[in-house]
Amino acid sequence: MVRVMVVDDHPMWRDAVERDLQAAGHEVVAVAANGREAMARFPAATPQVVVLDLQLPDHSGVQVTSMMLEHDPAARVLILSASGEQTDVLDAIKAGATGYLVKSASSAELVSAVTRVAEGDTVFTPGLAGLVLGEFRRIADGPADDPRDQLTERETEILKMVATGMSYKQIAERLVLSHRTVQNHVQNTLRKLQMNNRVQLTRWAIEHGLDEGDD
Amino acid sequence: MSSRSPRGSAPRADSALAVEDRLYSALAIVRVVVTINMVGLNAYRRDNFSHPDVALAIVLGLVAWTAAAIWLYRDRARRTSAVLVVDLAIVLAAMAATPWVKSEHFNATIPGFWVMGALLAWAIHWHWRGGLVAAALISASDLLPRAEIDQSNYGNVFLILIGGPIVGFMCESLQRMARERDAAERTAAAADERTRLARAVHDGVLQVLAMTQRRGTAAGGEWADLGRLAGEQERSLRSLIRQQDTVPTASGPGAQVDLAGALEAMATAHPVRVEVATPGAAVPVDRHVAQETVAAVKACLDNVLTHVGPDASAWVLAQSAAAAITISVRDDGPGIEAGRLEEAAAQGRLGVSSSIRGRIEELGGTAVMQSGTWGTEWELTVPLA
Repeated sequence: MVRVMVVDDHPMWRDAVERDLQAAGHEVVAVAANGREAMARFPAATPQVVVLDLQLPDHSGVQVTSMMLEHDPAARVLILSASGEQTDVLDAIKAGATGYLVKSASSAELVSAVTRVAEGDTVFTPGLAGLVLGEFRRIADGPADDPRDQLTERETEILKMVATGMSYKQIAERLVLSHRTVQNHVQNTLRKLQMNNRVQLTRWAIEHGLDEGDD
Repeated sequence: MSSRSPRGSAPRADSALAVEDRLYSALAIVRVVVTINMVGLNAYRRDNFSHPDVALAIVLGLVAWTAAAIWLYRDRARRTSAVLVVDLAIVLAAMAATPWVKSEHFNATIPGFWVMGALLAWAIHWHWRGGLVAAALISASDLLPRAEIDQSNYGNVFLILIGGPIVGFMCESLQRMARERDAAERTAAAADERTRLARAVHDGVLQVLAMTQRRGTAAGGEWADLGRLAGEQERSLRSLIRQQDTVPTASGPGAQVDLAGALEAMATAHPVRVEVATPGAAVPVDRHVAQETVAAVKACLDNVLTHVGPDASAWVLAQSAAAAITISVRDDGPGIEAGRLEEAAAQGRLGVSSSIRGRIEELGGTAVMQSGTWGTEWELTVPLA
């Protein structure tokens, strides 16, 4: 059983997601319709997984993600989005979300994604894998002294397979690796992406003199 | 941006008027400088005047008019054609009075370089035509009363006749550029707003389609069909929105097109269920490269339809590096037995090879096929020149 919080501004969706999760034996500890409500209810509800719609009316999906994870680093955020605005999705992942699903995913897919994310696994769509590859590509094509981490060849190879719709099981078979190893590689790509985001933010802060007199 | 004003005959945009405002405030400084110069020179050559008291009155009059002109030109409403005409008339009158106030054989006119104020005002307001007319009138009134014309008289007149129209032409260009920039900014703002509105509408539609698909599938029977249709529409709309995202904002070098958007458009229209993953930004390539690459990817998908069937799923991944683009196309079919392609090629049945390999190799790239229990994958690599 996973303690889940559902944040979505469409009541119809909130109810549907809540029903599906409850039917699968999970506990929905809180629901919220916008970023403000979500932040107000999150600390008391202490969910393990937050199912978050990025298109909140106050445009706060990415911000909510990073605030929640700052407050409780053990929590996991699963993005559930209708339109898949590319930059928003990538920003939310950089901010620490570890899963992304489009809303057309079936109930079974949603339930399994919540379970996997709660276990610390990552849930990617091929589209998101393509975006992450693109992001690392842009770092690789940038200046050579960029302190941000790049993907290893193996990680790139695996992410490419995720981006072409292969399951971890298929990837493991094709590369003759264990399922767990594939999982670790995919998690690593996300960890690097999030670390890089922090490096970038720190560098930005230093360049703009925000590191001084702030203690 | 300043407030809108309906003044002006042609549709003169605000920014054009703003440019005019700035030019006139610069001209105010020029006017002060040439006035000081004019007063100084006339004081220095006060012995040349046969009617010193009249000369003094004229100089004071010019100084007074300078002050009035600076005030009049500062405001758009006061800056009428009449003011410009009076401005030039005063210049011409002061020049015409010179032979009588000084003597027949005067060297410099009373206003001297002070004529620049009116000349530039005409150039700013009526552009090259205004500059030319003002320059011609000033030149005529400078030359006509003179008994003899020397080299420096000719030089001054020549410069005025050249300078007036050129300054006018440049003012016109500045104003046109300001107007064009305004139009471009307005278009961009309108496009942004349309995109923002479209997002809100699309999001609602996508939510409903996704919900219909979900509920329909759960209900089964005819509802499941409806759900499937909703799912297809949802996928096409989502892909359409992504294509919109990757449309380059600037028109850029004409021949380049966005390969990611082109692949997305082709895949959406293809009967095989295709999911396209792109790097999240436009992938600009030459039009020819885009056409051939999209055609090769389409051949891969056609192949999936023929060999795996209409229920197959396929994935297209576009990656872009500085030196090359790589497109991976994978299907979840049973795969192709090793050697079957070579066998087909040997037998002269070159369908797949020529439409995929041929196109890519013509672009100087490579097409590699791999197959296994996980399906079949083509990797197309095209170098960017």
